This record gives sequence, C-alpha cells and structure tokens, in this order.
Amino acid sequence: MKLERMLVAVNGKDADVETVKLACNLAKRSKAKVYVLYVIEVKRSLPLDAMIDSEVEKAEKALTRAEEIAAELDYEVETDLIQAREVGPAIVGEAMERDVDLILMGFAYKKRFGVFNLGRVIPYVLEEAPCRVLLYREPIS
Amino acid sequence: MLVAVGATPVALGLAGILFIFTALSYAEGTAMFPEAGGSASFARHGFNDLMGFVAGWALMFSYIVTIAISAYTIPSYLGLFWEPLKTSPLAHTSVSIGIVLLLMVVNVIGVRESSQVNVGLAILDIATQLLIVVLALAILFHPGVFWQRVIGYWPSTANLVFGIAIAAIAFTGVETLSQMAEETRRPQVRAPRAYMLLIVVVLLIFGGISISAFSAMTPVELASDWATDPVAGIAHNVSMAIVPDELAARIFHEPIQHYIATWFIDVLRTALPVLVAVLAGTILFIATNAGLLGISRLAFSLGRFNLVPVVLGKVHPRFKTPYVAIVVFTLAAILLQIPGFFRPGLFESLGGLYAFGSMLSFALAHLSILALRWKMPKMERPFKLGWNVRFRGAEFPLTAVIGLLGTIAIWIVVVAMQEYSRWVGFGWMALGLGIYFLFRWRRQLPLGGVAR
Repeated sequence: MKLERMLVAVNGKDADVETVKLACNLAKRSKAKVYVLYVIEVKRSLPLDAMIDSEVEKAEKALTRAEEIAAELDYEVETDLIQAREVGPAIVGEAMERDVDLILMGFAYKKRFGVFNLGRVIPYVLEEAPCRVLLYREPIS
Repeated sequence: MLVAVGATPVALGLAGILFIFTALSYAEGTAMFPEAGGSASFARHGFNDLMGFVAGWALMFSYIVTIAISAYTIPSYLGLFWEPLKTSPLAHTSVSIGIVLLLMVVNVIGVRESSQVNVGLAILDIATQLLIVVLALAILFHPGVFWQRVIGYWPSTANLVFGIAIAAIAFTGVETLSQMAEETRRPQVRAPRAYMLLIVVVLLIFGGISISAFSAMTPVELASDWATDPVAGIAHNVSMAIVPDELAARIFHEPIQHYIATWFIDVLRTALPVLVAVLAGTILFIATNAGLLGISRLAFSLGRFNLVPVVLGKVHPRFKTPYVAIVVFTLAAILLQIPGFFRPGLFESLGGLYAFGSMLSFALAHLSILALRWKMPKMERPFKLGWNVRFRGAEFPLTAVIGLLGTIAIWIVVVAMQEYSRWVGFGWMALGLGIYFLFRWRRQLPLGGVAR
C-alpha cells in the first residue's frame, strides 16, 4: 500500500496515542505526510466560528500531545484544528481537500444498551470517505 | 387577514414587493460580509457599534416575537384533534408555553436535529400547500366572487398599511438566511441564489394561498373562525367542496379508472385537513426552534463585538451551548405569550410587535447598504444591486431607497396605530439602550464609535 498523505483524526482521548504512533510507523515506510486533525463540534445554537475557550484548550492539548508522540518516533506531523457542525463530514471534507490516501481513527471499546457501539462519527467516515480508512480499537480492558 | 380583511391579497402582494427589495439588500450585504449578524452586521460596518446594536436589538425583538407567535399558532392547528386547543385560552396558551419550554430544554442540552428531516418536512409542506392552491383554484375559484370579496371587505388605509406590516411575518427567512451564510461554501454566490429562490417560493405560495383563501370563504369567516389557522380553514372548505365522483368524472371516463380515481379523491379529501394540521404543527415547531437558534447565535455574535454583555454568550461547561441566552430569550417569549390567558386578540398583538422589530431592523439594513455605497464605494461587492441612481459620485440602488422608505413608513404606521406595540416596542428598545450604554461605559468602550 503506497501512501503519500494520511489524515489522523484525534479527539483528546487515550486512543490518540496509539493511533498517532501507528500513523507515524506506517508513514515512515513511504515517507508519507501525516496530518493530525482535531474537529471541534459547534452546536447549532452558536455561530460556526464561536470560540469556546475550554474546547480550544482541549484541542490544543491533544494536538500538542500528537506532536510530542511523533517527535518521540522521530517523525514530523502537521496539526490542524477546525470547527464544524458535525465531526464526520468535517473529517471526510478535510480528507478530500487534502487528497489523502488513508484516514486513521482510534476509539475506545464502548457498549450502548449492552451492544457494542461505534458512535456516530466512525460509521459516517467509513461510509463516505473516498479513501482507505483504518480503525484502531483500544483493548476491552 | 384579521386586519387587511378583503385587501389581504393586496397586502401580501405589497409586502411581497417590499420583501423582494429587502431580500435584495440582504443579498448584497451578506455577500459582502458573510458572517452571522444580518442587519446588525451591516449596520456595524456601515455606521458604528451603536447602530449595529440598535439593528441587532430590534432584530432580537423580532426573533423573540417569532418564537412566541410560531409556538402560539401550533395549538390552533392541533385543535383538529382536540378542540379545546383552539377554543380554550387556558389550554391554547398553556400548550404554546409548554412548547417553548420544551425547546428551551432541548436547545440548552443541544439535542441534534436532522437537517434531512427539516428539509423533507419543508418540501412536503410546500407540496401540500401547492396542492391546496391547485384544488382551490380548480374547484372553488370564481373571478366574480373573488373580486366581490376583495371589494366588499376593503379595509381602511391605516389597516391596509398595518396589514402589509403583519404580512412581513411571511418573510422571516430573510434574516435567517443571512445568519446561515457563514456556514456555506462560496456564500458570495450561494447566498444571493438562495434569496432569489426564497423570493419565488414565498411569493408563489402566499399569493396562491391568499387567492385560495378568498375562494374558499369570506374574509369575515377567515378572520373569525380561522384567524389563527387559516390554511386549515382553506383545507377544510376545499375538502367540503370536493365531490369525489364529480371530480373524477371530469378527468376519467373509463369505469375502472373512474372508480379508482373516485376512491383516491375521497381518501385525499379526508386526509387533507389532517395532513395540514400535522404538517403545520411540525413546520411551526421547526420555525419556533429556528427562532430560538437564531436569537442565541445573534446574541453570541453581538457579544463578540462588545455590543451586548458578554454573559449572554456564556457557554455551558458540559453541553457547550449558550444556555444564558437561550434561557433569557425563551423567558422573554413566554412573557409575550402570557396575555393569551386573558385576551383573545393576542395573535394580532404579536403580529404588531413583530412588525415593530422587523421593520426597524429591515430599514436599518437598507440604510446600511446605502451608507456602505457612500463610504466604501470601491469595496468588492460579489453581488451588486443594479438599478442605481448616481449622486455625488456614488451609486445608490433604487431598491434599497424604496425599501428604506417603505419599511420606515410601515414602522411609523405601526407605532401610530398600535398602542400595545408602541409601548412594548419602545420599552424593549429603551431597555436595550440602557443595557448597551451601561455595559459600554463600564468596559470603557466608546458609546457611539467602534470598539477595537
């Protein structure tokens, strides 16, 4: 699989660590460009460019952590923070705009009403992304 | 129809012309400044923060009234299923207040709404209204009767002008579109296109509905029995006038085709009032929610430019919603609905309040476009209005000039004729200006200038 550009979607959760490591290790083989993206979801009762300090702080922390993880692996990543109404379409939109070959996403094992659940974002990206999508799921424990 | 009576089609037509001019000014302004704020944004750029505040505060007033009036109309349509919702002030007003409170909670939590559902319902609603128009024109329309109802129930000039003002409620989409512009790709192209489509759809629907209304019943019947749910009244009368067998015979002559067509028309006749009630209820529910979303966004935008206290833009730590703005303005809308427990003419009063806020806000939008043509003639205008008049080297669009004169004239009539709107409207503006000056003085910001 020849990769030139890949997009890693992070959300400040524990799964980001392994997802970014995986992205950097994959990218090293073909010297691919890695974009790390954090999407702040803005509710419809606010303007799209509303600055929510707590969310921006959380996002910057997650992106800084991603840069540090990449630096430990001796790799450079480009981080970006965007605001959108919904995370899924924003990720797909950025992937298309940057013409990436692969989207990487990590998530924790979760159940909803006793049934394993992927949430809203992952099914959307899996369905709509024009490129390959790689998922990393945290261990159940 | 309550006010314009026989001249309702004329009032809607004249309001439609004014609406076109207003939509055109908004199209130019939104293409220049694709940001949330609408007329407040235009006024801030065209003049200064004070004018931006006045336009924004008047706009907020219209949003609050939109919330109140949309929610207040829902029980009238649902009265088809339980009559007290339409006839009992207690049941009617309680339910409408309950709807607003429910939406307050939903928006504080930030429950996601499906845009696909919204669009689907809007399309279904437009299709149903078009169906009613077609049926009414096919079955009930008679030029002589229509003309006689228009002339026979012609209102006074003052009531006609007030009717035009209330008809402006039909065109609330103008501001909402402007608020949405910042979220679309290529707003300089898409916003003007959306305005053009809005003009066509609204004029077609409301022109058709008003002609249908006068074909279906007299203005007095419309203004009394169906004052708060006129489309339900039209659907009811159209249904009563349909004779399935006769209508089917006009189109189909083969026995099998005639039999199937008769059955289908009979089902349609029974379903039409129910469909109207359900659709109107849901569309008005969405409109109430849209009003709440609009005002919370506007409050946040105004706070960002130091035009209103920043507390209105405070975001809930868990839900990430502007909960202070949502709660404050919901309570303001409920306050406007409370008189519904005691006075039956609340709908007309709310219409007057809406006219006060919207005409003032629209007038400032027109004035700001003219000011921007004078102050910033060389600024890029992705959508520039034509039909310009040259004056001292600057070009002024005629549509904005006529729009300004029209909206100011209507505003003056509303202020002069409607005591309730006058006191509540000016009271709201005085309250706002007091808050503005106090807030700006405390923060040591210029009162009339631009805060940097």
